[in-house]
Amino acid sequence: MSSSTTTRLADAAAPLDVLLVDAALGPVRRFLPDMSTARWAVSLARRPRTTARRLGALAGETAKVVVGTSDVTPRRGDRRFTDPAWTENPLLRRLVQVYLASGRTVDQLVADADLDPRDRKRVRFLVENVVEAMAPSNVPLVNPASAKAVIDTAGLSLVRGGTQLVKDLASSPRVPEMVDTSGFTLGENIAATPGSVVFRNEVLELIQYVPQCDEVHEVPVMIVPPTINKFYAIDLSPGRSLVEFSTQNNRQMFVISWRNPDTRHSAWNFDTYVGSILEALDAVEEITGSAQTVLAGICSGGILASITAAYLAGIGRQDRLAGIVLAVTVIDNHDAGTVGALSDPRMAALAKARSAQKGFLDGRSLAEVFAWLRPSDLIWNYWVNNYLLGKKPPAFDILFWNADTTRMSAGLHADFVDMAVENQLTRAGALTVLGQPIDLGKVTVDSYIVAGIADHITPWENCYRTTQLFGGSTRFILSTSGHIAALVNPPGNPKATFHTNDEHGPDAKAWLTGAETHQGSWWNDVAQWLDARCGELKPAPKEMGSTRLQPLAEAPGTYVFDK
Amino acid sequence: MELRQLTVLGHEIRASVRPGTEPGPPLLLCNGIGASLDLLQPFVDALDPRIGVVRFDVPGVGGSPNPKLPYNFALLTVGVGAMMTQLGYDEYDVLGISWGGGLAQQIAFQQPRRCRRLVLVSTATGSIMVPAPPSVLRKMVTPQRYRDADYAVQVAAELYGGQMRDRPDDVRRLMHAHSRVGSRRGYLLQLLAGAGWSSLPGLPFVRQPTLILAGDDDPIIPLVNARIMERLIPRARLHVYADGHLGLVTSADTLAPLVADFLRPGGEAL
Repeated sequence: MSSSTTTRLADAAAPLDVLLVDAALGPVRRFLPDMSTARWAVSLARRPRTTARRLGALAGETAKVVVGTSDVTPRRGDRRFTDPAWTENPLLRRLVQVYLASGRTVDQLVADADLDPRDRKRVRFLVENVVEAMAPSNVPLVNPASAKAVIDTAGLSLVRGGTQLVKDLASSPRVPEMVDTSGFTLGENIAATPGSVVFRNEVLELIQYVPQCDEVHEVPVMIVPPTINKFYAIDLSPGRSLVEFSTQNNRQMFVISWRNPDTRHSAWNFDTYVGSILEALDAVEEITGSAQTVLAGICSGGILASITAAYLAGIGRQDRLAGIVLAVTVIDNHDAGTVGALSDPRMAALAKARSAQKGFLDGRSLAEVFAWLRPSDLIWNYWVNNYLLGKKPPAFDILFWNADTTRMSAGLHADFVDMAVENQLTRAGALTVLGQPIDLGKVTVDSYIVAGIADHITPWENCYRTTQLFGGSTRFILSTSGHIAALVNPPGNPKATFHTNDEHGPDAKAWLTGAETHQGSWWNDVAQWLDARCGELKPAPKEMGSTRLQPLAEAPGTYVFDK
Repeated sequence: MELRQLTVLGHEIRASVRPGTEPGPPLLLCNGIGASLDLLQPFVDALDPRIGVVRFDVPGVGGSPNPKLPYNFALLTVGVGAMMTQLGYDEYDVLGISWGGGLAQQIAFQQPRRCRRLVLVSTATGSIMVPAPPSVLRKMVTPQRYRDADYAVQVAAELYGGQMRDRPDDVRRLMHAHSRVGSRRGYLLQLLAGAGWSSLPGLPFVRQPTLILAGDDDPIIPLVNARIMERLIPRARLHVYADGHLGLVTSADTLAPLVADFLRPGGEAL
């Protein structure tokens, strides 16, 4: 799999709270015509002339297609129609041209209509999904590759594809299987960095990783991973693991592995999670003997880490933190991309009620929503590969991690949705956690913030706004690629670059204009930043844990196996 | 305690393997309905470390995702065989508790060459058996007791008997602290797997040496069932212990040595 495909797959994403609201309500809602669609129809009917002109143009184009004089061609980079048969077979060529012309006309009709931005986005979403689904490349035997496969395998490809389709539809998530999981074994070739679980409570396991150097910096780093999917996004295959990279760079690494909650844990909320992060922090201090720790957080884990830091600042114990690192984390949700368009307070309330009723938000429905946000890459691409060609999906560590979904307790789900919809973390005291009003401005330790330029889940401009929230000095880094690919950024990739600019004004665009570009991965940059804040080097500990906190299990621990 | 995720016949299965300190066939544990492998930890801890132990979560229970299609004991046995092959064990002993006892009997019957010895705990002969009172059966139809600790405490005495009558609060520790709750659908499919199944006609053909452990105060499985099984299995031995349905866990310190004696050569008093 080429790195560009990798990047594109990893970029398939959407804002966090859209995911959270949608997953609770189910993706089907998006495909049903709603009030926005009705308004679109009304708007088109009100402008009969424009509408008639567009449809007339389509009829004219169709006539040209039939005669063979049309010059409609697929966009460059449209991978659906790369097979030469799509252009050389007169019938197929005409089919593609009609399809493309119709799709473009529908797009224009959406653009013509007089709709407010929210309706427009919703209609566009619906229309794009429908147009995407109707592509001739999705039809067995019409797709030349599938026709060839049928001949090559004497029809077996259709049998295999059919079996696969039945299997995928039999259990949720009802989307094509995206990854061949058989090649990965947790703890062996994925999440395989050596370490031990040194602390466990109801909510989390704390993993201490074995230093891979003779000396380590005094001050340890503790990472709070996302609460969606498992923690090992930062410990994928060897050589693609942020944890492994850090242990090889004189770092004492501690990583939290969340338990996969079930119905019994529906009450777990911000208080529970922040409380357990504080317990883990106590354990890190006890094991390393360091009075300070660098607290790092990723995506939704970054939100929890920020709240934890503000809590410590609120109770006057900020001295326990040597710094904060936030990766692909959005704290200020104001106008984040399509959020306003796709979720509204009523939907948010409904979503919370839905997850409360179940006790949790199912990660598999998140996966479904996730896939339908980028149907071209995540549904139809595999539809053709798995069902039409009867091939196995590729084996790829990010997709393996992506398929390893987790539930989210109803309490946490509700807290996240409220936080996003009301933008609570941008106003001092709007949120109270463990009885302490949360004010990010009180956090005066240095922070390091990294975002991905092509990230759809956590748009980098929104990540950038965090620079205006914390009270301390901030270093903001903009990495290439999207949500997960920005995170999984091992040095040595010739294409990797990152932008830096020490002038953190309020405007993200202005920051980028003034930024300089560096070759390489931000992993090396954050390592330098940490070196400056993690104290002296000392001999690496020989044993994991402490006298009181004995190792309980080998990394990746036991919670990671909970389906 | 070595957890791992296996892919068996297209299903992801969470399994745990405790390697034995001496070579020999491992003991495969088949758990009760709705119960995840974590619940058997006290028994594994008490069992002779020379014996390797394999535990797994049935699809739809604990750490294994839902099965794609309904299954029965015979299909599950095929799956268990594939799993043990994957783990590199050709021959093994099987211990089944309650619902898992049904599976264990099926394995013994279906895999006479691979299953060496059989231990049946708090179990019976499937749908043709001397049943528990309806008030007990009614509480077994849903996985409620696994999901709601307070409810479990409330019904512990009536459902499990034995030590649970005096210490119903222990149910929290035994069944909730570290357990993994599967889906409602998984539980129903487990119930369904046992529907219409009975080992009664097959028992005379079970060739393996068999140890039957039964509690004298087990509301779910009346003791007479164990006596019937002892009568029908040619090489069976019955041991009645003074505890309830969860005896294997609550009396692990006395029952584990009995099981170890039975499994290890030299422990054969048949």
